[in-house]
Amino acid sequence: MSAVALELDGLAVDFSGFRAVDGVSMAVAHGELRVLLGANGAGKTTLMDLISGKTKSTEGRVYVHGRDVTNQREHKIARAGVGRKFQIPSVFSGLTVRQNLEVAQSGQPGVFANLKMRLDTEAQERLDETLDLIGLTEEAETEAGVLSHGQTQWLELGMLMIQNASVILLDEPTAGMTAGETAKTAEIINRLKGKHTLLVVEHDMAFVRDIAERITVLHLGKVLAEGNVAFIENHPDVKAAYLGKQGIS
Amino acid sequence: MKTLFSSYRVWAYLAFAIVILALPLIGDEFWLNRVAKYLCYGMLGAAVALTWGYAGILNLGQGLFFGIGAYAMAMSLKLKSYTSMQQGSETPVPDFMLWNAEPGAPTDLCCITPGSWLWIPFQSQWVGLIVAVVLPAVFAYIMGRIIFGQRISGVFVSIITLALVLLTRLIVTDAQPLTNGFNGLTDLGWFTVFGVELDPYSKVTYMVVAVALIIVLALTRLLVATRAGTILQATRDSDTRALYLGYDVPAYQSFFFAVSAGISGLAGMLYVIVAEFASPSFLELSFSVTMVVWAAVGGRGSILGACIGAILINMLEARVSETESLVEAWKLIIGFVFVIVVIYLPKGLSGLAHDLMSKLQSAPKLSPVQKEEAHQ
Ligand SMILES: Nc1ncnc2c1ncn2[C@@H]1O[C@H](COP(=O)(O)OP(=O)(O)OP(=O)(O)O)[C@@H](O)[C@H]1O
Ligand SMILES: [Mg+2]
Repeated sequence: MSAVALELDGLAVDFSGFRAVDGVSMAVAHGELRVLLGANGAGKTTLMDLISGKTKSTEGRVYVHGRDVTNQREHKIARAGVGRKFQIPSVFSGLTVRQNLEVAQSGQPGVFANLKMRLDTEAQERLDETLDLIGLTEEAETEAGVLSHGQTQWLELGMLMIQNASVILLDEPTAGMTAGETAKTAEIINRLKGKHTLLVVEHDMAFVRDIAERITVLHLGKVLAEGNVAFIENHPDVKAAYLGKQGIS
Repeated sequence: MKTLFSSYRVWAYLAFAIVILALPLIGDEFWLNRVAKYLCYGMLGAAVALTWGYAGILNLGQGLFFGIGAYAMAMSLKLKSYTSMQQGSETPVPDFMLWNAEPGAPTDLCCITPGSWLWIPFQSQWVGLIVAVVLPAVFAYIMGRIIFGQRISGVFVSIITLALVLLTRLIVTDAQPLTNGFNGLTDLGWFTVFGVELDPYSKVTYMVVAVALIIVLALTRLLVATRAGTILQATRDSDTRALYLGYDVPAYQSFFFAVSAGISGLAGMLYVIVAEFASPSFLELSFSVTMVVWAAVGGRGSILGACIGAILINMLEARVSETESLVEAWKLIIGFVFVIVVIYLPKGLSGLAHDLMSKLQSAPKLSPVQKEEAHQ
């Protein structure tokens, strides 16, 4: 189980002189949940952009299960097994919850492969299980556009599950959630651990303690520290990076 | 199947099919000829709904595909026309080419005017028919690959398509020796199927158009009900999200763009069979905009809705134009209707019908007591 699922090697991007991500190397093991910490503007979202192909890197490489996917087009990287949730939740608002999950089941992404009416029974069952897992069975026929903020986030998590992405990138999955919603999100994420490899950006330390094993701290586009929760919380450089205030709250 | 027929949508399609198939029972050939034209417009409305409603692509140059279809068929029918055989050559030559020919040019399609050889394959009406559908589809696919491949979207697509239709109009009107310019192609022969000539003023021709429309509507509706159709709607709502699920979004957009273009070409082709002319007016911006209005009023989210919208508006327009004083006001009226619909009925008439049906379907669930209460 120690196989590396996601490996970054000296990854960097230069926005005409400004290096938002500056030589990041890290390896995330298969089934691991890695938390990315860092102050605002540290480069966390940009790092995810580089991995998922939204932004082209200017240096370094990205490997998914040993396969080099550096700077490939987004849908190619997705097909290599990388799934992503954005900072701002995005679902297909005009489709029902069920249809959203159907679309997320993207095992055969070609146009002609999809000129058929429905999913096979097995896929249908998986869809129902996922609905149950994210607690949206009741809302299955509801248009996704009218879901609450929390429900939208869960639907997006459900889409990642059903997409069967082996590497999942989550950018602030609990942003704007109530305490109750956050707890439920932690539960869903903990279920993903083991089966999927996760890279999670999160500010909420209580939540991080709930889900994290290892943490990587980014500062000014570089890796500042890496280790388990206790190690990071007591790391002097990390405390300094968070403006020397009270450390990470 | 049970769920299929429990949906009122299927009944709406069936009812529509029955109505248009039954019209020959109540109308004469002249009226049917007019209605057949509206049915072609209805097909066009459905094509607009497919891209606008389902893919979120507002094509302001849909007339380009209609025009290509119309001209392809008109070229074939022009060569079948009686006058084309009367130009003193063994093979048919369109009369206008003679008027435009350089002195001394041989009276033959090979070289009577510059580019006249392009007409040679159209001596077969089947070439005209196939080109009318395939050329718009292929052209749209290539266009889509380029436009959508560059991640161009929204209003920019509309502007590009608008520019293309106007450019094409310029070329067509300019190429007088090849297209008869502003005058378009008139004085056409009849399309022949299994020895039967399709007289535009006959019930047979009307039925051909009606059946073609029903088939196109049914197939299009099935197409958007496939997984690919759902994925297309997903790309409409968020193309990035779809990309990150591994879908090649431009491939989906281009595919449906091409299907819509093929349908438009078919509509143009049928229109020529019924109306007996093709003209650069099909390539005018106002015509393409009018199609968008049909779809908006009928409901761009519904293939059938947009089709019915087109038919109703044209019937209304015909009515209005019978009253002299209203002719001038028509453009104003239709503009006003469009604004009202956009503001108050964004889903068009079909959206209204849909809401009504949903209410009706959920109504029986109420107990009699609840109904009493609801009425109070
Ligand atoms: N396309 C771009 N061009 C120029 N600068 C950019 C671009 N994208 C991001 N940046 C800059 O890179 C830096 C890192 O941004 P990023 O969004 O990755 O931070 P973050 O760690 O996700 O912060 P937050 O916690 O606020 O989400 C910021 O200063 C941002 O302004
Ligand atoms: Mg961010």
